[in-house]
Amino acid sequence: MNLSELLIELLLMPLVAFVIGLGMVLMMRKIAARLGRRIGPPLLQPIYDIIKLYGKRTQISHGLIHEIGIIMAVGGYVAAETLLPVPGMNGLADKGGVITLAYVMMIPSLGMALGVGQCANPNGSIGISRALTAMLAYDIPFILVIFGAAYVYGTTNLADIIAIQQQQGVSGWGLMQMPLLALAGMLALPAVMGKQPFEIYIAPAEIATGPMVEMSGKFMGGLFVMQCFQLYTAGVLYTTLFLGGGAYWITFLPKIYAVVAIPMAAAMLFPRYRTEDVIRLMWKWPVLVGLMGLAVAMK
Amino acid sequence: MTPLDQLLLLSALTVVVPLFTGNRRITGPLATLLYTGQGLLLLRMAGLGYGSETPVSSAVSLQVLGLELHWRFDALSWFFALITIGAGLLSSWFASGEWAQRYRDSGSSLRLFHAALALNVFTMLVLLASGELLSLFIGWELVSWASFLMMSLGSNTALRYAMRYVTYAFAGAMAVLMGLVLVYTRTGSFEFQAFRDAVPSMDADTVWLLFGLFAAGFGVKMALLPFHLWQAKAYAETPGPGAAFLGAISSRMGLFAMIVVLVQIIGVARLVELPVPFTFLSGRDLLAWVAVFTIIFPTFTALRQHDARRLLAWHGIGQGGYMLLGILIADDLGSAGGLMHVFNHATYQAVLFMSVTAVIHRTGTSDLNKLGGLVARMPLSFLAMLIGIIGLAGLPPMNGFVSKWLVYRALILEGSPLLFLGAVIGTLGTILSVYKLIHNTFLGQLRLEHVDIEEAPSSMLWPMMILSTVVFVTGYFPGLVLDWIASVQAAVGLPVLAHHLGGVHIDKGGLDMIWVVSVLLAGFGVGALVFLSGNRSKRVHQLDNYAGGHFLTADTRYQYSDNFYPGLMHLIGPWYRKSFRWLEGGFVSTVDTVSQLMQGLYRHTHPAFYLLAVVVFALSWVMGGD
Repeated sequence: MNLSELLIELLLMPLVAFVIGLGMVLMMRKIAARLGRRIGPPLLQPIYDIIKLYGKRTQISHGLIHEIGIIMAVGGYVAAETLLPVPGMNGLADKGGVITLAYVMMIPSLGMALGVGQCANPNGSIGISRALTAMLAYDIPFILVIFGAAYVYGTTNLADIIAIQQQQGVSGWGLMQMPLLALAGMLALPAVMGKQPFEIYIAPAEIATGPMVEMSGKFMGGLFVMQCFQLYTAGVLYTTLFLGGGAYWITFLPKIYAVVAIPMAAAMLFPRYRTEDVIRLMWKWPVLVGLMGLAVAMK
Repeated sequence: MTPLDQLLLLSALTVVVPLFTGNRRITGPLATLLYTGQGLLLLRMAGLGYGSETPVSSAVSLQVLGLELHWRFDALSWFFALITIGAGLLSSWFASGEWAQRYRDSGSSLRLFHAALALNVFTMLVLLASGELLSLFIGWELVSWASFLMMSLGSNTALRYAMRYVTYAFAGAMAVLMGLVLVYTRTGSFEFQAFRDAVPSMDADTVWLLFGLFAAGFGVKMALLPFHLWQAKAYAETPGPGAAFLGAISSRMGLFAMIVVLVQIIGVARLVELPVPFTFLSGRDLLAWVAVFTIIFPTFTALRQHDARRLLAWHGIGQGGYMLLGILIADDLGSAGGLMHVFNHATYQAVLFMSVTAVIHRTGTSDLNKLGGLVARMPLSFLAMLIGIIGLAGLPPMNGFVSKWLVYRALILEGSPLLFLGAVIGTLGTILSVYKLIHNTFLGQLRLEHVDIEEAPSSMLWPMMILSTVVFVTGYFPGLVLDWIASVQAAVGLPVLAHHLGGVHIDKGGLDMIWVVSVLLAGFGVGALVFLSGNRSKRVHQLDNYAGGHFLTADTRYQYSDNFYPGLMHLIGPWYRKSFRWLEGGFVSTVDTVSQLMQGLYRHTHPAFYLLAVVVFALSWVMGGD
């Protein structure tokens, strides 16, 4: 592949991710609404929200780092999307691999943490302390799952992982080859996405105590954009590792939407977990299942 | 006179010069100049770092009791020497300007500080140049005492922990000495080659014994578990630039000696053949697990510190675990990761200590409970710390990521999920801990007494900026360092890593940092464009804050660092049991009891009774003899 094609891919991949991510945000809100017997937002609501947030007249900045933090939060995910192969586009899959992706995915969290830190709001800092603790909680099963997948496929290159699965049809999918690891990944997924019932650090309902407390206008908009990417990344990564990726968009899209929708639909039914309970939960069941999955997979 | 002789001579001169120039202002710049000279002489041997396999020998050799002591530099020595002299140069530069003035005005001796720093560099170079086991041991002892001198310059706490270090170091040195004697009785020589030739014919017990003695002896300097208790406080309390130097390279001398003996001479393959009784583990696995626990425990101890310097010093111990772990994997990727981490760690750890020292210089404290909100006052120091913590946490785009990536990749290839998990837990704990550091120093609430402080002086900023640049550039182009690593691997007898400027190319998933970092920077660019597409924001003053419906005035203090992660500590807090301190305490009391007992027996209690017992014994022996 020549350089110009690659550059076009690198431009397209985050753009596609953003559009799909918007759809995921809409879908989540629809699921939450339907479970609560409401109708939910209209199709273009996520776009309206973003336009509204970016266009607001009152936008309070607490300093340069506050702004850079938001830029890092969005930018980190923009970069992460180029490491995630999708049908027709491999991007930088062979130059980064899944470990690099897992670490690039931590940059947005760090950016958000820095931005909130500059706001000098004690409630914001409490939110960050919770967010980073949650990251410690879910990253341990998440990294176990990544290790297992990389070991079983014998490669960290996500494009190769997809190719290996697709050679053997559905029976070659990670889900069939290592069901326990796939289950552990599915258990950890809602926490990776930072959604119900693990969203105490974002605390959208009681906004005065989360990282969002000082985020107005485009700052909030930046985090909204980040959320689109976050859902997309989690969905695509899981699909890539366990559901055979996608040869065509027509098969790929239902998979990634299902990966986000299924745990969401179940998780929405649970009450919100406290931070220490997130750790307790994440370090118990997904890790246990993951270790068993590893033992089976490496046998 | 070979280039090595010139280097050692200049290094010795650097020790002497401060003794003459004394407390004058010129001492610092002069020492810095001399370190630059050392650096240039080291560059004359740069061939070693780029594949030249003939070591540079010293013309000097000593005959002692029929044994020949000689010194030489190979690629491994050159690589470590590069870091040592670099750290010495920048620490001394950092200590040349306003810092020196303040230090002198506080009644401390600048002469002693610079002499101690130079002595550390000199003794380390002597150790690195050692050509056989005896000169290795002599260098080892010199380094121990030199670093003791440096640590003892600090406060009383530092002195107490430095004394503790000396106790540990002495025990370690005894272990090493026993190892040497054992080797000598088997081979009749102290030469590396003779030792290496003898290893295949040694039985498993002997190799176990040698392995244990050398690993424990050198492990003390590296602060491997359970010998880690001395290091954090001793380093943390050393005068700022000294702490930067010690934190960057000093304890890596243990790693150097371990590489020489365990990897270069005994060989990791031999360690794999040593079974640990009643387990599935081999000797190598045992040490690898020690390395992983050295990553985890000190990192989570760091998480609980509320003094910036102690926090960093504890992380320094933890990061040593990654180096040892990588080297013990002993394939091309893992060992490259471990060796590269030595360089990377030196760069970001020095930057972090310098940045903290700059904050202390301006505010007078490193207590995280008493700082906060300095980012607008000291933006460049903030930048240096930011780059440093990203490196320490091992996130892209800084160099710490590359070395850790190599270690992770090797662990995946090898199929060691639990070691991998341990390494990752350490990284996650580091992220939590370093965020606390930067949050409580530079972000959060600004204290009223810090409203008028200024950026650190340029004599401090220059070394910090240079090091930050190195941290970023070697993350962007890791091939620059991997060139040296490949030479080291060849010299030590490890598989050589095939690499390019951007990283490594492996069929099964490589790494190209040039692309990864470029795309990350481009991502930030896109993020900035998205951000700027919004409506104009209004910047409010740093002290203009509110929470919970109330305006927060600056005299209401709400910045805290104790129990910064209450959710986590709620769960893992009870796991901190100070077991190692308890273990050390138990050991000390045992030794104390035994020595009192012996003292009592010999000197106080019943001399007449013992005399009688001896006489009766002698008589019975004489009479029973026939």
